[in-house]
Amino acid sequence: MTRTHARSGVVGFSFVLLSLTAPAWAHHSFAAEFDANAPITVRGVITQVRLENPHSWFFLEAADAGGKVEKWSFEASTPTSLIRSGVKPGFIKAGDEVTIRGYHARDPSQNVGAGRELITADGRSFAIGPMVGPAR
Amino acid sequence: MKRACLTAILTFAVVVSVPSSAGAQVPRTADGHPDLSGVWWPGTDVPLAPLPPQAPTAGAAPTAPSAPRARNPRPRFANLYQPSAVDKAKTLSDKDDPALRCVPVAFGTLNVSLYGLGFVGQIVQTPKFVVLLTETYHSFKLVPTDGRKHRDDVAPSFRGDSVGRWEGDTLVVDTTNFADTNWMHAEGEVSFHSDALHIVERYRRVDKDTLEVDATIEDPKVLTGPWKVPTQTLRLAPFDQIMEVGCTGVESAALMDAAARVNYGKK
Repeated sequence: MTRTHARSGVVGFSFVLLSLTAPAWAHHSFAAEFDANAPITVRGVITQVRLENPHSWFFLEAADAGGKVEKWSFEASTPTSLIRSGVKPGFIKAGDEVTIRGYHARDPSQNVGAGRELITADGRSFAIGPMVGPAR
Repeated sequence: MKRACLTAILTFAVVVSVPSSAGAQVPRTADGHPDLSGVWWPGTDVPLAPLPPQAPTAGAAPTAPSAPRARNPRPRFANLYQPSAVDKAKTLSDKDDPALRCVPVAFGTLNVSLYGLGFVGQIVQTPKFVVLLTETYHSFKLVPTDGRKHRDDVAPSFRGDSVGRWEGDTLVVDTTNFADTNWMHAEGEVSFHSDALHIVERYRRVDKDTLEVDATIEDPKVLTGPWKVPTQTLRLAPFDQIMEVGCTGVESAALMDAAARVNYGKK
């Protein structure tokens, strides 16, 4: 990701059919809400970060290929996990350009996903959600 | 020369022996038992490995159908259900998971009751109690190790009533008196149990940084036989305090709709 790309507000989706097992999501049913077979990548500008129990949320705005700005939200791991992962309170804030990779909601009409990885504008990567794969 | 050779030999012996003995060194309390105190986790609580490359492509909302999800290969409690329990399980799904309503699990998603619903737990050991603290839902187990029997004056509970004893260097934790209203695991995995649930866990600190936990689980009302849980290996975390992961009840199956409704006026 580059700043140029981020400013252009491109929203990218990529869906790959994968054979995956249940994720180690903290406590609620990942499968009930998100589609492990629908990975997505959204690049945009953070509007709000909530490091709150039991799960954190990242909200951002991103433009599609036609320039239309859409609001997105990503559920992330517990605040405790994020803090240990390096995403401490105030580290990501409104106005920051980020790329979030994760899995789309089962309802494809909603711009909501389960966040797995957050990449800052300078290329640093942070795990913000559980891996979709064999439980550890 | 002889002295030099002897010194060299002794030095070599020390160099060879110290690392292995130091690596295996298990801290002990004043009463001689292994000290299990510390924060224990699988090594990380969110995986740090990056996702595989995935090129963004501009486009609209997803419409592609999903491939069937592979079944979880982990050996589980429900694999041993009696036929009647199998029939009952067919009437339930992930949306019936009590954890969606902030009810703690009886055992744990990663087959370690110290973790409960999450991936991190802390042990505080005193001469009279071993205290198991679970980060997710901020729950605890008090395990008396002074020889007392199970309590007969408490109501059944989600996490049960525990007593402990030392068998050599192994702490044996015996837990009974469970309520039958929670599940063994979370994440939507159908795993109800009965009030006859009996969990025996064996904690062994095999070296300074490693704790192994074995468990045998019985529930004669719903299982065909004991479930011998595979050995779980826990690592000493590089921090000495867990934090709080609470449950508000909003992170339910309706979470997606609620988030959209509250934040964006959708649906």
